[in-house]
Amino acid sequence: MDARLRRVNKEISDCKADTSSGIQIELIDDSPFHLLGTFPGPEGTAYEGGTFKVDINIPDSYPFTPVKMKFITKVYHPNVSSASGAICLDILKDAWSPVLTLKSTLISLQSLLCSPEPNDPQDAEVAKHYVTSKTGFEETARYWTKVYAGAKDNIGVGKTAGGEDQIAIAGLEKAHVDQFEALGFPREQVIDVLRRLNYRGKNVSQISEDRIVEELLK
Amino acid sequence: MSDVEYSDDDYYDDEDMYDGTQDDADDDGMDMDNEDFQIDAGPKRKPYETEHESLSQAEVERLMRREIEQTRNILGTDESVAGLLLRHMSWNKERLIEQYMDNPSKLTDAAGITIPEPPSPASAAPVRSRSSRPSSKPLPHKRPSPSKKDEPFVCPICFDDAPGLETSGLDCNHQYCIGCWTAYLSSKIRDEGEHFIRCMAEGCSIVAPDCFVHASLLRDEPETWPRFKELLARHYVSCNPSLKFCPHPGCTNTVSCPGASSKSSLLSIVPTVSCGARGIPGQEKGPDSITVAREHKFCFGCPIDSDHRPVICNVAKMWMKKCADDSETANWIKSNTKECPKCNSTIEKNGGCNHMTCKKCKNEFCWVCMGPWSDHGTSWYSCNRYEEKAGIEARDAQSRSRASLERYLHYYNRWANHEQSAKLSLELYKKTEKKMEEMQITSSLTWIEVQFMKKAVEEADKCRETLKWTYAMAYYLCRGNHKELFEDNQRDLEHAVEELSELLEQPIESDTIPTLRQKVTDKTVYVSKRNEIVLDDTANGFLEGRWKWNVHVDGFDDPDPADLAF
Ligand SMILES: [Zn+2]
Ligand SMILES: [Zn+2]
Ligand SMILES: [Zn+2]
Ligand SMILES: [Zn+2]
Ligand SMILES: [Zn+2]
Ligand SMILES: [Zn+2]
Repeated sequence: MDARLRRVNKEISDCKADTSSGIQIELIDDSPFHLLGTFPGPEGTAYEGGTFKVDINIPDSYPFTPVKMKFITKVYHPNVSSASGAICLDILKDAWSPVLTLKSTLISLQSLLCSPEPNDPQDAEVAKHYVTSKTGFEETARYWTKVYAGAKDNIGVGKTAGGEDQIAIAGLEKAHVDQFEALGFPREQVIDVLRRLNYRGKNVSQISEDRIVEELLK
Repeated sequence: MSDVEYSDDDYYDDEDMYDGTQDDADDDGMDMDNEDFQIDAGPKRKPYETEHESLSQAEVERLMRREIEQTRNILGTDESVAGLLLRHMSWNKERLIEQYMDNPSKLTDAAGITIPEPPSPASAAPVRSRSSRPSSKPLPHKRPSPSKKDEPFVCPICFDDAPGLETSGLDCNHQYCIGCWTAYLSSKIRDEGEHFIRCMAEGCSIVAPDCFVHASLLRDEPETWPRFKELLARHYVSCNPSLKFCPHPGCTNTVSCPGASSKSSLLSIVPTVSCGARGIPGQEKGPDSITVAREHKFCFGCPIDSDHRPVICNVAKMWMKKCADDSETANWIKSNTKECPKCNSTIEKNGGCNHMTCKKCKNEFCWVCMGPWSDHGTSWYSCNRYEEKAGIEARDAQSRSRASLERYLHYYNRWANHEQSAKLSLELYKKTEKKMEEMQITSSLTWIEVQFMKKAVEEADKCRETLKWTYAMAYYLCRGNHKELFEDNQRDLEHAVEELSELLEQPIESDTIPTLRQKVTDKTVYVSKRNEIVLDDTANGFLEGRWKWNVHVDGFDDPDPADLAF
């Protein structure tokens, strides 16, 4: 039998046999080389309670070249693209070793959620948020976990009941958005500009209102 | 330290000479005008030529071996260790020796090597290793050992547990089956172009020595070994500023050009070099080989893979960038059809010549400037020169920007036209060539007698390449006497090339061949002289610091505000 197929089949069945880790690998379609990985958000973090889905693509030269993974679930994290789900993690690139498995890689993703690495960011805006205000960042990450990863609302965030709160998703203060919206700029544009400028935490006192208006007028 | 002579070198030198003659014998002698193409003829070198030397991959490998041999003698290590250390240190031997003397184990750690302790007779020579189990001896020199029969072995990668499965490992003793090693090495080499390949175990930094790679590929993937050797040679070449790999597809030659290894040298010379080969390797003997197999010329100083003389790299790159940025605006020029300026009927260009004759009204005009052709033979007519007046008189910003675009299009138009003409005349020549071959059979002409066309086409092609780049240069040259003289030389070469192109489009019949041959040969000689004049004068101008630019060019003084291009 094809060595790659034998290995992937064994990885899938090993993973099925192990129920303690909470990590699951399932087929998406007929191909054994396109899979869906699922793991629970690590406890004691902003991702707790969420279920994170990962798209897994197994290249022809697997396991000699790294497996391709990206988040399907939207994640607010410095090393994950908030738009595409692309992941910045060394073992998915040059630190890959053929002895690593799909399961061990998913575990690495889980621990990446515990320990963000803002100096090697995939999403620069999220990384900026993390560096400026860790509590603000965590609040937003928790909100994303609730909205996108299906966590129960038991942590006391979520300013509006039902639906997605765009301000909370962007990790901004409602008062700030209201202030500039009152000047006649569309709400979406205000959110976009404030997010890009990282108008959060101690940065708020450092960015002049003129600067924001200037950006809004662009 | 590196100057010390070792007896081992003599052995390699002998081998060099032996192999060197072999390489020469491989040259297929097809190139009839070889003596004209002597590129490294030292004393006869022209001011626009740069001394360089072509090296085959085997010759590069010999240079590598010599450096490894010297390093190995100095450090007292084995060959494989010396090679890995040099690769780790980007072939900087001096720094390698310095760091090794300072702290050998730190360096060998970083380079992914396991080395035996320095010779101390009694001790049992333990091996540096990251794995907890010390391995007995460096394995790579031996054939990978099969796993012991009594322990059932399951390969941790492919999960194969067949009895008698052959396994191997590096000094760290991480064992995997041979099939996995072969697949892993092959994937690293073929897919990733990697030659510094670490052990498959997670986090293990031990690097596979060459002999291990060789042994692992030998049985199932011998064709990947040459690819590995090429990667090693490419890495060595990329670490050495006076070497450059030939960029032509499929070519594995290297050019050595110490005169162009520094950035400052590129401000006064255009290091056009050639690896000596032609065409695409493996396709030399094709039917179109004579016309299509172009010499592998490229610039040693920048990524442009053709001859961009007379203009220096920095300016050539600026021009290429400008053309890429403005490609939309200039696209219309590339179209092959235009309208007759007199009767407006559509005219298609199908040869390299710019002298157009309208089929309908017989109007003769110039394809480039659309002006009357009759004026082009006279020396006062300047199809090549852009009249800057329009720009000076422009008052408002809008007409200035229109004038600036017009100015650019003037140069771009001529640049693109020479490129296109070269292509078209090559196509035309292919047709002519067939006819000439037929004539050899039907008439008394010999093969050598029909060769004048080939030489003429090649010469015209070469000169159009020069002309092309003179327009890039003229675009950035600041106004004044020097530029005018430059443009005079440019115009004279352009006239000569157009006349030659026109001759090449004459219908060929066997009875007119002798006269045509005389005319073409004379014109070819003249054109080649005009080309020399342009190249000589520009090259000397760079050496004398005569050329001034109308924009900022890296490495040059900023232009006078009055000279700035609008
Ligand atoms: Zn295996
Ligand atoms: Zn190892
Ligand atoms: Zn070449
Ligand atoms: Zn160049
Ligand atoms: Zn006409
Ligand atoms: Zn003209």
